[in-house]
Amino acid sequence: MLLQLNNIFKWVNSGGQRIFLLKDINLQVEEGEFISIMGPSGSGKSTLLNVIGMLDTFDEGTYDFLHESVHSLKEKHRANLYKEYIGFVFQSYHLLDDLTVKENLEMPLLYKKFKGSERKAIVADMLDRFNIVGKKDLFPTQLSGGQQQLVGVARALIANPKLILADEPTGNLNSQQSEEIMELFKKLNEEDGVTIIQVTHSEQNAAYGSRIINLLDGRKVEI
Amino acid sequence: MLKNYLKIAWRNLLRNKSFSVLNIVGLSIGLAVTALILIWINFEVGVDQFHEKKDRIYEVYNEYPIDGEIWTWNSTPKIMGPTIKKDYPEVEGVSRYNYDDTFLFSVDEKRIKSTGTIVDPDFLNMFSFPLIEGNIKTVLEDVNSVVITETFAKKLFGDQPAVGKVVKIDNTDSFKVTGILKDLPNNTGFNFEFLMPWAYLKQKGWNDENWGNNSIATYVLLKGGTDYKAFSEKIKALRKTYDKDSPDMVTFLYPWSRYWLYSEFENGKEIGGRIDLIRLFGIIAAIILIIACINFMNLSTARSEKRAKEVGIRKVIGAEKGSLVGQFLGESILISFIAAVLALLIVLVALPPFKTLVGKPLSLDVMNFWFWLTACGVILFTGMLAGSYPALYLSGFKPSAVLKGTFKKMKSPVTPRKVLVILQFSAAIILITASIIVTQQMKKVQDRQSGYSKNNLIYTMMEGDMEKNYTLIKEELLTTGIAESVTKTNSPITATWSNTWGFEWKGKSEDNMTLVHRFIVDDAITKTMGLELIAGRDFDLKAYPTDSTAAIVNESMVALMNIKEPIGQTIKDNGIEWRIVGVVKDFIMNSPFQKVEPMVIEGAQAWFNVIHIKFNKEAATAKSLAMTEAVFRKYNAEYPFNYEFVDQVYAKKFDSEKRTGKLVSLFTLLTIFISCLGLFGLASYMAENRIKEIGIRKVLGASVQSITKLLSKDFLKLVMIAIVLAVPISWYLMSKWLEEFAYRINISWWTFALAGIFALMIALLTVSYQAIKAAIANPVKSLRTE
Ligand SMILES: Nc1ncnc2c1ncn2[C@@H]1O[C@H](COP(=O)(O)OP(=O)(O)OP(=O)(O)O)[C@@H](O)[C@H]1O
Ligand SMILES: [Mg+2]
Repeated sequence: MLLQLNNIFKWVNSGGQRIFLLKDINLQVEEGEFISIMGPSGSGKSTLLNVIGMLDTFDEGTYDFLHESVHSLKEKHRANLYKEYIGFVFQSYHLLDDLTVKENLEMPLLYKKFKGSERKAIVADMLDRFNIVGKKDLFPTQLSGGQQQLVGVARALIANPKLILADEPTGNLNSQQSEEIMELFKKLNEEDGVTIIQVTHSEQNAAYGSRIINLLDGRKVEI
Repeated sequence: MLKNYLKIAWRNLLRNKSFSVLNIVGLSIGLAVTALILIWINFEVGVDQFHEKKDRIYEVYNEYPIDGEIWTWNSTPKIMGPTIKKDYPEVEGVSRYNYDDTFLFSVDEKRIKSTGTIVDPDFLNMFSFPLIEGNIKTVLEDVNSVVITETFAKKLFGDQPAVGKVVKIDNTDSFKVTGILKDLPNNTGFNFEFLMPWAYLKQKGWNDENWGNNSIATYVLLKGGTDYKAFSEKIKALRKTYDKDSPDMVTFLYPWSRYWLYSEFENGKEIGGRIDLIRLFGIIAAIILIIACINFMNLSTARSEKRAKEVGIRKVIGAEKGSLVGQFLGESILISFIAAVLALLIVLVALPPFKTLVGKPLSLDVMNFWFWLTACGVILFTGMLAGSYPALYLSGFKPSAVLKGTFKKMKSPVTPRKVLVILQFSAAIILITASIIVTQQMKKVQDRQSGYSKNNLIYTMMEGDMEKNYTLIKEELLTTGIAESVTKTNSPITATWSNTWGFEWKGKSEDNMTLVHRFIVDDAITKTMGLELIAGRDFDLKAYPTDSTAAIVNESMVALMNIKEPIGQTIKDNGIEWRIVGVVKDFIMNSPFQKVEPMVIEGAQAWFNVIHIKFNKEAATAKSLAMTEAVFRKYNAEYPFNYEFVDQVYAKKFDSEKRTGKLVSLFTLLTIFISCLGLFGLASYMAENRIKEIGIRKVLGASVQSITKLLSKDFLKLVMIAIVLAVPISWYLMSKWLEEFAYRINISWWTFALAGIFALMIALLTVSYQAIKAAIANPVKSLRTE
């Protein structure tokens, strides 16, 4: 088992009122799963993904990740855990505009304190794998959206995470580009055994996954 | 990692050119000003600190209560030194110092005037003025020996060896050069080209053992390990044994290494000295540097909204807070490094004019290890100071919030950024009012009537045969029509050299110890100086031969004597009854910043040092000068003719205050400039941030005017608060400053109004440029890019 959420609540206080963003979420994810989260806009999909990705905190409940209790971990420890096992892909790519493709890929390795020679090898390998060697010295603004997202996925993968979290990874792409990305995810999942959780609005994309979780007003619902 | 940081930092600098330029220029000016002031402070603090035995050297001071206040001064009787050496075994050496003496040196046909002094042989053992040639033990042993500096030796003998040669001094005595001194360094308060032994003074009969004649400095070197406190107690009552006239006068040893920076006394306590000015400018330097750093912080945090996304991404891909703080600090250190390089260039260019401005022989020693250490320290410090706030602020962003786009800039009423702007402008306003007040004060004193006519008036020191031939010289100057009037005096009209509380007059109370100045003249004083007589008459030796024991007093003296009819009264001084024949209006001989003190002008029955000549106003000055020189050549052939224009000497009295004024104005301008740079940057970010709002407002029909107003309002509010803060502070500080001057302006409210309006105008100009630019931009464009 990769991770398990039990009775997760998250809320914000606004004008003396408690607004729930997540309500009583229970979720168990095994290694090698490919899960899609769906639901109407504002239903809490991104919030849930951020909680899983440890970018956001929650107010009640327990969260175990690889048998560690995330809720009781120190900030530093949690960051390490996250650095080690999780990669993120965003709808708007979120590449660093001041860095070239190659440097963008190298960044996570730098933060993980890989050696220079190792970094070079891994980055070269990744460029190769994603077929973007020719673009390695370009800046993100010089790439198309699909290419940028490709780099985004490559960056999420570069440090060999167990879990990829993708928040509407194809939201800004046309259908052909999104198909490419989804095929890539499928390949990663099947061949490399990477666990993937994606948020999506498209039934078609959701079909790539093995399981769908539906959210409504912060609550898990069955359809 | 470091390489990566540097790369990003560098790209960021290039990408945001205007931001980078604002930041770097502001910071480099701040650094350069700080560096210049530090160079100056470093110089002042180092003066006479190179003497190896400085911590054991003391100067003999006296203390005496006069009018209920303790007076402290450092001139001593000539007998003081030998007495101390004889009586106290703790003393290793003693040297008297006869202040500056100017003599005429002649070698063959060469005649050179030079300033030096007469000292005891111990002098060279006490102070670290090394000899290049000669034996330190014996150079000043012989009566007719003289030690000269390297440069002076060159002037006298060219490249010939000087030691062993004979020079004639004042055309009378022959001296043998026994030693060559290394030229005095820049950073010493001493100023001599030659040293002569005290024995010469004795030989000439200039020595005396009179305890009442306090006229020279005495330096004492204590043996190592002497307990200074205990010794002070011992020496305190020295005069009880020897000085019959003032046995209660306290003798004390002042640590000589403190003389340059401190040595000003008030009521028996050391109250400061040069250190005050140094502190003032030290504070100004700190303020300017802080303002420059504040800009940096402000601009960086203002820009942080743009960099929030970057922070979020970095956190998501695994950056820890520490490495982000490191990155942003690294960037600001890079900026401060670039600024420091620029500042170094500015310093190199600005040092010569700055040297002239402060009037000190400053230099930048780029080969010095400490220079580089300080430079690195300053770069790191300003980089950290300026970068710490943005670094912590930025690295604290929560990635989920930032990336979701719900990140909002702070909107609390008191943000640190606002506080910083207020501080900045408060400092600027304080400096503006200071400049105005200093300028007003200078003008007031410069406009003050000196009470005598400085035009066409010169003076020359009495030298060589002038004394002997005075009557002939005067005759010739007057009969040839060169001069309207000639008067010899004991001191130039621009300073009194003699004062006493020993004048006696009818009705003077026993305990009246007011100091009265003594000015000694031979004849026609009011005519030569153009003094204004308000009663009686001028001295006129031809008509009244008894005028040699007559006196003229000034108004303040009449007030002190408290008499209705001064003419005909007598005043006793030096055993002579001086009969008052005239009263003149007060005139300024000493500081124009202080009130005129009581003065008695005594007639010809005394000694003279100076000749004043009032030129015929019909003739051209150059011609009169040439003719005068010819006359002096004739009657005083051995000496070159040297003279001073009185108006020029008088103008020098303002030098130090003028200098302070100029420096304050300069620093004010720089402060305003740096503050405006910052404000300009902030305003441009604000305009950028609100570009969408402005666009919408315009589409809804807002006028350019109303938008400019909307954008400028917030900043002007901050400046208003700064004014409210600054006015009382600057009122207090400037009142304190003015207290030093007896003759001073009253601070008026409009000074502050003016400074406030000025600050507002400048802020308005700076901000409105950005505001107008934003307001007239095409709204369609700005809305589309959002
Ligand atoms: N800091 C916050 N304060 C108040 N409400 C918040 C906050 N963050 C999120 N919300 C609310 O929580 C709800 C869920 O937001 P979330 O971003 O998870 O939605 P989503 O399902 O990802 O929607 P979309 O499909 O549009 O991306 C929304 O209604 C949002 O308004
Ligand atoms: Mg979402």
